[in-house]
Amino acid sequence: MDRILILVSRCIALFRRRKLDEELDAELRSHIDLAVTENLQRGMTQQEARTAALRDFGGVTQTRERYRIQRGWPLLGQLERDLRFGFRQLRRSPGFTVTAVLTLALGLGANTAIFSLINGLLLRPLPVPHADELALVYASRTNNPHSGFSIALFRALEKRHDIFEHSAAFDARPMQVRGSSGNLEVPGGMVSGEFFQVLEAPPLMGRYLTPMDDREGGGAGGFGAVISEGFWRTWFNSAANVVGTKLTIADTPFTVVGVMPRSFVWAEPTERADIYVPTWAEPVIDAPYSNIANGYHTVWLRVIARRNPGVSLEQANAALRAVSNPVLDDAIPDAKWIADARKDQFQFTAEPGAGGLSVLRWNFERPLIVIFSMCGAMLLLACLNLASLLMARATARGRELATRLALGASRRRLIQQLMAESLLIATLGTAAGLAAAPVVSRSLAALLAGTNRYAMIDTSLDLRVFLFVAGMAVAATVMIGLIPAIRATGSNLNDQIKKGSHTMPTRERFRVLPRVLMALEVALALILAVGAGLLTASLARLYGTGLGFDPKGLVNFHFDMGKQSLDDDALARWYRAFGDALQHLPGVSSVTFEGQTPLTGSTWSDDGVHSPFSNGNQTVYENLIAPDYFRTLRIPILAGRDFQWEDNSTAEPKIVLSQSAARKLFPGQNALGQKVTGHHGTSYRVIAVVGDIHYTSIREAAAVAAYLPISQMVWHKASYTAVVRLDGPAVPLAVAARSLVGRMAPGVPAPVMTTMSNVLDASIRSDRMMAILSVFFAACALLVTAIGLYGTLAYATARRTSEIGIRMALGARRAQVVGMVFRENAWIAAAGSLAGLVVAWLGSRTLASFLYGTSVHDPWVLVGSVAALASIASAASLLPALRAACIEPVTALRAE
Amino acid sequence: MGGDKSDVLQGTLDLMVLKTLESMGPLHGYGIARRIEQVSGNSLTLNQGTIYPALLRLEQRGWVKAEWGLSEANRRAKFYSLSSIGQRRIQEETENWERTAATMARFLAPSN
Repeated sequence: MDRILILVSRCIALFRRRKLDEELDAELRSHIDLAVTENLQRGMTQQEARTAALRDFGGVTQTRERYRIQRGWPLLGQLERDLRFGFRQLRRSPGFTVTAVLTLALGLGANTAIFSLINGLLLRPLPVPHADELALVYASRTNNPHSGFSIALFRALEKRHDIFEHSAAFDARPMQVRGSSGNLEVPGGMVSGEFFQVLEAPPLMGRYLTPMDDREGGGAGGFGAVISEGFWRTWFNSAANVVGTKLTIADTPFTVVGVMPRSFVWAEPTERADIYVPTWAEPVIDAPYSNIANGYHTVWLRVIARRNPGVSLEQANAALRAVSNPVLDDAIPDAKWIADARKDQFQFTAEPGAGGLSVLRWNFERPLIVIFSMCGAMLLLACLNLASLLMARATARGRELATRLALGASRRRLIQQLMAESLLIATLGTAAGLAAAPVVSRSLAALLAGTNRYAMIDTSLDLRVFLFVAGMAVAATVMIGLIPAIRATGSNLNDQIKKGSHTMPTRERFRVLPRVLMALEVALALILAVGAGLLTASLARLYGTGLGFDPKGLVNFHFDMGKQSLDDDALARWYRAFGDALQHLPGVSSVTFEGQTPLTGSTWSDDGVHSPFSNGNQTVYENLIAPDYFRTLRIPILAGRDFQWEDNSTAEPKIVLSQSAARKLFPGQNALGQKVTGHHGTSYRVIAVVGDIHYTSIREAAAVAAYLPISQMVWHKASYTAVVRLDGPAVPLAVAARSLVGRMAPGVPAPVMTTMSNVLDASIRSDRMMAILSVFFAACALLVTAIGLYGTLAYATARRTSEIGIRMALGARRAQVVGMVFRENAWIAAAGSLAGLVVAWLGSRTLASFLYGTSVHDPWVLVGSVAALASIASAASLLPALRAACIEPVTALRAE
Repeated sequence: MGGDKSDVLQGTLDLMVLKTLESMGPLHGYGIARRIEQVSGNSLTLNQGTIYPALLRLEQRGWVKAEWGLSEANRRAKFYSLSSIGQRRIQEETENWERTAATMARFLAPSN
């Protein structure tokens, strides 16, 4: 209690120091006055009375000092003085300060930004109670350890409450919600009955969905739905009576039963969901298709479960292994399927699920870790650089420090004072970096999201990020400050004082540590440059790959036609009419439709395609297209003719093969006019052979592909993508196309527009992110290294002014002086480059899996990196060397 | 800090101050110092200045209060007085001191 009171009063005293000092002085004065008065009364003279009063009092100054110590924190005052002193030192050399702070801000800012991305994507657990009890459950097989569930499999596992307290299946899905002007697309999720019990997340209003809601046809009043707080605020305008109102989703009324608070994050933290409906509503949402009707054939659900308290993950896994076979027998009424599954070593497995499930995480975990290490290397480099510069500065202050040591300053005090300077730099740098980090991490998150409109990565700064930043700042302070401070105060003061600035002791000139630091910096810069070079070369090769079609000027409009009334030939006629209308918009040169957009990763294939000449069944990627597809995408027709709208459901089924598909199905034959049979048994007449394109990804070689006409389509209410080749800008077209859809198909949600260039960029966004960031880091590293090389050499040369003057007075030519100074850095750069090259050669293997068509020892990249570093180092070293050569011997000697 | 002849044990000085204030009522620093000197019968030559850190310490603990006022000679001086906490603590501190003194006395008594 006493201690707390003292602490509080000391804190208060901190802010009232001057006032309290004045008060103490007044009190002490009054004390002396009273004593003098009493002494006078005893009959002393004025002089005697005063002397006696002061003698009785003891030392006034000592009393004041002790009083202050009792009042506040003397160490704090010392620190404040040190900081003030450091601040003045920094202000005296603004160039150095700005460089130092910016360097550190770059390093720390980049690290913070990347770390908050890693935090949001990889580290942060779901904001639910006891997130560590959550587990992700997979229906694993040898060839696919992270496979999801079919509805049949999940229902059989769900019943087993002995392993998990609760388990739930979920799947994200955009939903069509009826608004005032037709249907709008809203991101949502389908969740099984125990989903909210697994997450233990209380609703903001109403109730959440329970197993009673997840039944065929829903409860008594149809299906219920839970909405997010954000959706409640925008769609329902925060209406207090929202619970119980109807919401028309996929043309079917759902009853809103509850609202989840804004803080709620569902099981896929990187995928936004505003509406949650029971899994049994899937046939409604997915109409005219149904995963539920497909039973065990369609794998579409992800499973998250909560372990019983006290059950470890290993125990859960053991229990899951034990029930794998019984559940399989229970779920699947197909002996062959079960036999196949057992052959593939089917079993349920559980993995830690605290962070929920995220596709983005799977895709970006490794790239982010690579980038984070590069980023860390850059920060290390920045710190090394500052340490070198501070060391050079401290050397310049050697005499001052030696004098102060001689006058009795303790070494600890001096180190503390020098550290205050680096603390200031680190603090300023951290603050600047922290201010910039959110913007950077948000734009990186947007880059990672690609074309996924509902992706979200929460990069907000939380406690973990702040701890990370604080740790970094402390580490940086120590790294940039401690070595220079210890060295600067460790020198023999006699040497320092005896010798003037004109004779730099040889010992100092050949000091190893500063050079090792600079060489390390050069090595790090080279490693970063090589990494950036490799990733950029790989990206350039990805972009340079011939895709087989021309993506520039292509715009896609994706429709969702599942919930409108047209079907079959009537729908095909609508597509044709819409295509004609689009064709007449300004700037449009041709229009077509496709089922799957190349390079989006979403493909469709048939593994049972055969011809009389093919070697059994072949796997062929397929796409549904409209006439003019090849002209619009600029895929060459090598033989035969394009589809026509007249190739409709009454005509003979037709097919177009890609060149490699024709070779595979008709080796050594002319495919044109021949017949191909799919796994359903339908035979198609080959009417054309066209060029190969990269259908699945840029990385994968041209796929074996076949095209079927949408006019002969077999699917109900199929949703296609209109592909437009443009002559003009895309923006006016977007507006025109949207109003066209509004007129021709009221009620159909506005089509989603993407440009093919966006799709292309998004398909290699991880490569883009790595290349962009690594180039940024490498550029910063080179710049910082150049500053470091220049700065340290400039300091060292300035200290040698008189020596150089003497040399020149004795006849050294200017070129010799230039060479002498330049060589100082040349050795450092050469040694650093060599070390960096060795490490890069050995370490670049870690990048191998990220590179496309690029060897990890690509000679051009290695040579280019060394050349870039060499030229920058030369430029940075030449400047001080030239300046040294301009020294006038007379002036230099006179200065002593 | 230590070493000075006229330094008094910290706790001892605190208790002397408290006792002085208890018997004399509100008093300024000089008065407290003089009173302690008088009571000790000049066996204790106090560096009067040491009284001030002690007073601050007591003030920080909330045992004494300080107020500016006028001295008998019409001079401005800071007057210290016991707070209610201080009044309560005096008893406790006195007992503490007596215990310590008794213990010391037992150590110092000739053993027989």
